[in-house]
Amino acid sequence: MTGGFAGTGLVKRFTRGAETVTALAGVDLAVGAGELVALVGPSGSGKSTLLALLCGWETPDGGTLTYRGALADRRPDTLGWPELALVPQALGLVPDLSLADNVLLPARLRGTLAAEADRARALLADVGVDHLADRYPHQASLGEQQRVAVARALLLRPAVLLADEPTAHQDRGHADGLLDAVTAAARDGAAVLLATHDEVAWARADRVLSMRDGLLTEGAP
Amino acid sequence: MSRPLWRLAPWRRAPLLGLRAPAAVLAVLVTSAVLACAVASAPLFLSSARSAALQAQLSSQCAEAGWVQTGGWVSAPDADRAVQQAWQDEGRASDLVLSTTVLTGTEKGPEGGLGVVSAAGAEAAERLSLTYRPDALAHVRVVDQRPGDGIWVPDAFARGAGIALGDRITVGGVPVDVVGVYRDLWSTDPGAYWCDYRLLYANDVSANRAPPAWGLVTDPATFHRLAAGGDYSAVAQVEVPADTLTAARARDLVAAQDRAQARAETLVGGTRYAQTNPRLADAVDRAQLVRNGLRGPVVPVAVAGGLLALVLVASAGSFWADRRATEVRLLAARGVGPGPLAGKAALELGLPALAGAALGWAASRLLIGVLGPADDLDPSATTAAVWSAGAAFVVGLAAAAAVAGLRARGTAEKPVGAAGRWPGKVPWELALLVAAVWCWALLQSRDAVVSVGNVAQVNGLLVAFPLLAVAGAAVLLARLLTALLPRLRRWAGRRSPAVFLAVNRLAAARLAAATLLVAVTLPVAVLGYTATLTASSQRTLDAKVGVQVGAARAVTSVTRFEPPAAIDRVGTLVVRYNGSVTVPADGSPTEQDAQVLAVDPASFARTAFWDDSFADRSLADLAAALEGPAVDGRIPVVATRLPPGDPDLHVGRLAVDAQVVATARVLPGQRLDQPLVLVAADRLPEVPRTAIAGRVAEVWTDGPLGPAVDAVTAAGGRVTQVLDPALVQSTANFLGITWTFGYLSALAVFVGVIAVGGLLLYLEARSRTRVSGYVMARRLGLSRAAHLRSLVVELAGVATAGLLVGAVLAAGAVALVYRRLDVDLLRPPTELLAVPERAVLLTVAVTLLVAGLAALYAQRAADRADPATVLREDA
Repeated sequence: MTGGFAGTGLVKRFTRGAETVTALAGVDLAVGAGELVALVGPSGSGKSTLLALLCGWETPDGGTLTYRGALADRRPDTLGWPELALVPQALGLVPDLSLADNVLLPARLRGTLAAEADRARALLADVGVDHLADRYPHQASLGEQQRVAVARALLLRPAVLLADEPTAHQDRGHADGLLDAVTAAARDGAAVLLATHDEVAWARADRVLSMRDGLLTEGAP
Repeated sequence: MSRPLWRLAPWRRAPLLGLRAPAAVLAVLVTSAVLACAVASAPLFLSSARSAALQAQLSSQCAEAGWVQTGGWVSAPDADRAVQQAWQDEGRASDLVLSTTVLTGTEKGPEGGLGVVSAAGAEAAERLSLTYRPDALAHVRVVDQRPGDGIWVPDAFARGAGIALGDRITVGGVPVDVVGVYRDLWSTDPGAYWCDYRLLYANDVSANRAPPAWGLVTDPATFHRLAAGGDYSAVAQVEVPADTLTAARARDLVAAQDRAQARAETLVGGTRYAQTNPRLADAVDRAQLVRNGLRGPVVPVAVAGGLLALVLVASAGSFWADRRATEVRLLAARGVGPGPLAGKAALELGLPALAGAALGWAASRLLIGVLGPADDLDPSATTAAVWSAGAAFVVGLAAAAAVAGLRARGTAEKPVGAAGRWPGKVPWELALLVAAVWCWALLQSRDAVVSVGNVAQVNGLLVAFPLLAVAGAAVLLARLLTALLPRLRRWAGRRSPAVFLAVNRLAAARLAAATLLVAVTLPVAVLGYTATLTASSQRTLDAKVGVQVGAARAVTSVTRFEPPAAIDRVGTLVVRYNGSVTVPADGSPTEQDAQVLAVDPASFARTAFWDDSFADRSLADLAAALEGPAVDGRIPVVATRLPPGDPDLHVGRLAVDAQVVATARVLPGQRLDQPLVLVAADRLPEVPRTAIAGRVAEVWTDGPLGPAVDAVTAAGGRVTQVLDPALVQSTANFLGITWTFGYLSALAVFVGVIAVGGLLLYLEARSRTRVSGYVMARRLGLSRAAHLRSLVVELAGVATAGLLVGAVLAAGAVALVYRRLDVDLLRPPTELLAVPERAVLLTVAVTLLVAGLAALYAQRAADRADPATVLREDA
């Protein structure tokens, strides 16, 4: 593989009072460039924790995590939005910015606002929220906010895309639209990992990884 | 049957559940304390001011002014014991003063006196009055003495009457031994002990007849022997420390004095004149006048402060609803209405609110003690403050609970994207502006400052008007300014990320931004208004004193003397004449009285009091004009209330060819309501006595009086009068004005504290959205420094806008009001304007500092957030 990322023996524990909870109990995974992988599993199985490790918000208690290709030898928390974009479970839209400004924020912060303006408009149209561009997040529904979060993640054509339940608040039609968009990103060379309960997404993924009790297995549950 | 709500766990366990939101508990505790402090401080302040006014009056008099005294003119030898018995019956110990002449503190002056025959049989030309007072002999300068009972006589009297120590003389026909000779009190500094007896030994009033010589008797028995057969004054007095006296205690003392006097008269069987002390009761009455004058402005100020604090408490209730959102939304979703939710909030917040009210009361007591006019408060004021704090607790908790209930329910029910409700769009602030205009209209027909019993009192409208106007205008301007934020947002789209984020944060929360702007504007405007008026009043009072005296101090003399060189070192010599000028009036020239000052231009310019508002030119320029060339043979003069040209000047009856070459609005030494003319002394023709010009020589000085007196005496002059600032303005009469604006300033600082509290609530209430936005923006590429810059731009921007708007509002209110604050229209100058530069700079510095610290606080809170946790929470 020339891109993507790989983790070997990833372990993550949390302490909850006197109790130690093992969220990841030695996870091995690899997602290559251009590959769309669905990560499935019941709630509390460790999916979100794995995504937090991969984007650098959490550090593993054991194992190794490496990014490949142009991202080799980079720590995940140093990767910029064009290198690693994500759609968190809580979406993370900036509440004081309009939906359009939220999508454009990565470009604004990189000084490429003008260059990305057309793409931002196109992405908003693709996910069906272009008519809400001037609204604030709290003036949009949760599903609309989620589509904006996906559009923001795709804006700078990231090398790695991590998405935590990106279709959770969508009807089937909009969920398919979102899956089209992330599939297209993968086809353009991104390594995409989707944590999802959506069985349609499993079917469209190149591979499915199942997580249960902090362990990862190949294939659907 | 379902159980009532209050028996369910969310209500039954509410006091403990409140602890789950410690930030909300803290917010309610602090805001309740602020509210209670605002409300409780009013009765405490009024009591403190009354005590201070009482103490200030008494401290400016002799100590006995605050003592209570009973007694009168009696004849029975044992009447003095009865007078003291009356105080014993009141449970108080008293000192006895016996005298054959009238004591000060009564309206009658010294008179009479006893004839004295020396040991050689010669009758003294001067008569003698007798006094017995405990410890009196320890407070005189002893010339000579010997042990034993008898009489002490002053040395001048002893010399004049041929009396020596040890002589047996007769006083009123009764023999007595002279056992001491003391230095006449008028020739020494007798000290505070004799302050109240000055009328008995000095001749300040230049009466034709000097008081009799003062014989001090060593003991009551000797006194009664000498005074036998005649009336004498027996006074029993109780010492009262005036520096801690309160009005209530003073009233008790006055009542006790009345009772003791009645008892004494019963025991004695009547007195010719009652000799109680009326000064304490007078001082209490004047202190009450000061207090009454303060109540008008203080009550609206306290109400305004209380209302603002109530808004803060209500905001804390909203903050509680935010912090307890999860449980509250769940309850609301299950059909619980705003009433029960408000009840739950009241139960959760009751204890913190009660603790806050207690803290607020304690804080108000502490603040008044430390910063108030006096630390001595009437018990009734403390009780009133406790009741006020209790009421603040009830009202504050009700407001917090009501807002919490409404907000909790409203948040749960508000549909996505719903527009704001209509009450938020109505410009309620216009009602405040209308009320302000009404106050202003009322003020046009009333005095802004009135003098009641010679005590200056600020009209309450003068306080209510700017408060209403500033509050209304601040809200209206904030509404208008924040309405511009969407346009500003478009502008910010082309600016740096820091500016972009800051402007968008403000634009996204326009109500919060407007509230914050008002919170900054109000204290700045009120503080600017009060500080400017206080500084202006002080500058005006100082200027009036300076103009009246001419310089810092002056001594006058009606004797003619050659000005010695020493005068140049201590100040300047000014010779004042009565004169006349011709002034144009209604088209026809009219002769008018004028004052003419012959001055030495150089030392006059150095010494005389000057304020740049007096003229368009400096005093040095005006003085130099006196030395300019003659105009058509006429000497140049500088004048006020005269036009340039020939004034047809007369000094007394002497015509003087003069030309007014420069004018001023006010000139130093302008004591009368008539024109004043300055002329160089060396160019003024000799003014003969026959001119009847009322010549008075004055030495003006910026230094102490001593050298000026010495200079006059050394030149052969005799000082006729001393002019001191205290003689021109009695400070105690203006305490009401000072305290009124002081209290208003305290309100401004208090509003500033509320603003800081509001700022913290604003930051805390928005912290969840701010932190989630920050965490994600960091991932998107926002640097920590850029985020901190955005916070600084956001908060410092609002602070700067608030400073500017506040300054404009303060300037407008001051411009409308300050000319009406002149408390002494008879003495120039009229009200001057003084910009309190230090207060302005301090306000700007503190405001920007608070904004900067708040930005750092918000940045630290954002930095502490764990991204994984923040972005895993439900959206």
